[in-house]
Amino acid sequence: MSAHDDHHLHDHDHHHDHEHDAHEPLVVEDEAGNIEGQILVDALQSLLVERGLIFPGEVRREIERIESPGVHLGAKLVARAWVDEAYRARLLADGKSAAAELGVGVGEAQLIVVANDAGTHNLVCCTLCSCYPRSILGQPPAWYISKAYRARAVREPRAVLAEFGLRVPDDVRLLVHDSNADMRYLVLPERPAGSEGMSEAELAELVTRDCMIGVAVAPAVA
Amino acid sequence: MTPRFDAGDRVLVLDLGKPGHIRTPFYIRGRAGVVLHRCGAFLNPEDLSIGNVGGPVVPLYRVGFPMVELWPDYRGSAADMLCIEIYDHWLAPAAPSAVAM
Amino acid sequence: MTRGYHDIGGDPAGAVPIVELPWLHWEKQVEAIRNLLGDGTRRMMSLDELRRGFESFGEDKYKALSFYRRRLEAMIDILVEKEVFTREELEAAVAETRARWEPPAACPT
Repeated sequence: MSAHDDHHLHDHDHHHDHEHDAHEPLVVEDEAGNIEGQILVDALQSLLVERGLIFPGEVRREIERIESPGVHLGAKLVARAWVDEAYRARLLADGKSAAAELGVGVGEAQLIVVANDAGTHNLVCCTLCSCYPRSILGQPPAWYISKAYRARAVREPRAVLAEFGLRVPDDVRLLVHDSNADMRYLVLPERPAGSEGMSEAELAELVTRDCMIGVAVAPAVA
Repeated sequence: MTPRFDAGDRVLVLDLGKPGHIRTPFYIRGRAGVVLHRCGAFLNPEDLSIGNVGGPVVPLYRVGFPMVELWPDYRGSAADMLCIEIYDHWLAPAAPSAVAM
Repeated sequence: MTRGYHDIGGDPAGAVPIVELPWLHWEKQVEAIRNLLGDGTRRMMSLDELRRGFESFGEDKYKALSFYRRRLEAMIDILVEKEVFTREELEAAVAETRARWEPPAACPT
C-alpha cells in the first residue's frame, strides 16, 4: 500500500471542479472530503439508529463481515482446481456450489469461473458501475472502479492489459466479461510452470487478485 | 417466463429507449451476438430500481459478441469476444446471417 | 436512445491509474449501512435503487464525487425519497455531528 502515498490521496490542492476530466480517471476525496464523508455517514447512521432502523453495534459487525473476505478465498478455489481435475470441472460448471464445498460462501447470485488456457485469456470488468466478486475477493482495487478501466476494458482490452505489463499474444483469444447484471466472474488462471511439486497451500500463495481479475497471469515458479 | 433462447441461438440486442435504471449498456444495443449460457431467471433491475420487488422474474443470458464487430477499429484477434449478460426482454431472435462467428 | 452518464463502456479515456488505495473507515461504513438497509429483514433499499440514485442525481455531481461518496449521497437521496427522514432532519444531524468533530472555539486567554 505505498503507491498512493505521494499522489492522489493527500493532494491538498486538489479541487473537485477542475481536477477530474483533465487526466481523469480516479476521483478520490482529499483530506477535507474524507472528513466530510465521515461526518455525513456518521450523521446518517445516527438518524437511522434514532429511527430504530439500525441497532447500535450492527454497523460495526457488518464492517467486520465485509472486511473478512479477501483474495485468500479466491486463491483457495484456484489452488484446489489446479490439483483436482474433478473439482475444476465442478468449479467451472457451478462456481457457487463448488466454492461452498470448500466452505467459501458466495453472496452473489452466481459465480461464473472462466478458465485461462494456452489458447484463451479472460478479463473481467464492469462498465456500468463496479460489480466485482466481493464475497470472495473483497473490495475491488481503485483502478478497477476508475473511469479509464471501466471505459476501455471492453474496447481496447489488449492495450489495457499492456499497461498492466501483460502482453497477450495475437493467437490467444481474449474474452472480456462485462459484469453488468447478476453474475460475478472469477478468472481461473493457468497453473504456472515449475509449480509441479508444490502443495495446495503453496499453490494458493501464487494466486494473486490480479490473476483472478485477468490483468495478470501467475508467473512461472523459479 | 420460460427462456426464449438457448446456448447457440443468435440474438439481437434491442434498444428499448427506456428511461431510468437499466443494465443494458449503450455500446451493446443494436448489436447481434450468440447466447453462451442461460443464467437463470432474476428480478428485473428496472423494477427493483423503483422499489418493485414483486417480480416477475426475467430470464437472463450471457451473450457473446465478436470484438471486431463491436468496434470497427478494434486491435486484437478476430476471435476476441465480449461477453455480457442481457435480460430476455432486451433480446430478439437474429437471422443466422446477422452474426458471423 | 437513452444513455446514462454512468454508461461509459467504450468511451475514450486516459491510462488506467494503476494504484492501490486504502479502504477508509467511512467508506466501509457506507457499504455496511447499505448492506444492512438492503438485507433480508429490512429490505429498504436494493442495490438497483442505490444505482438509480447515483445515475440520476446529475452528471456534474457524479463526475465530481468519489466512488463511495456517490453511493453515500445516493443512499441519502433514496431514503429522503422514501420519507425515512427529511433533508432538514439530515442537515440537523450533520450539524450535530460536525459540532462533535470540529475543535471547540479557542478559549479566550
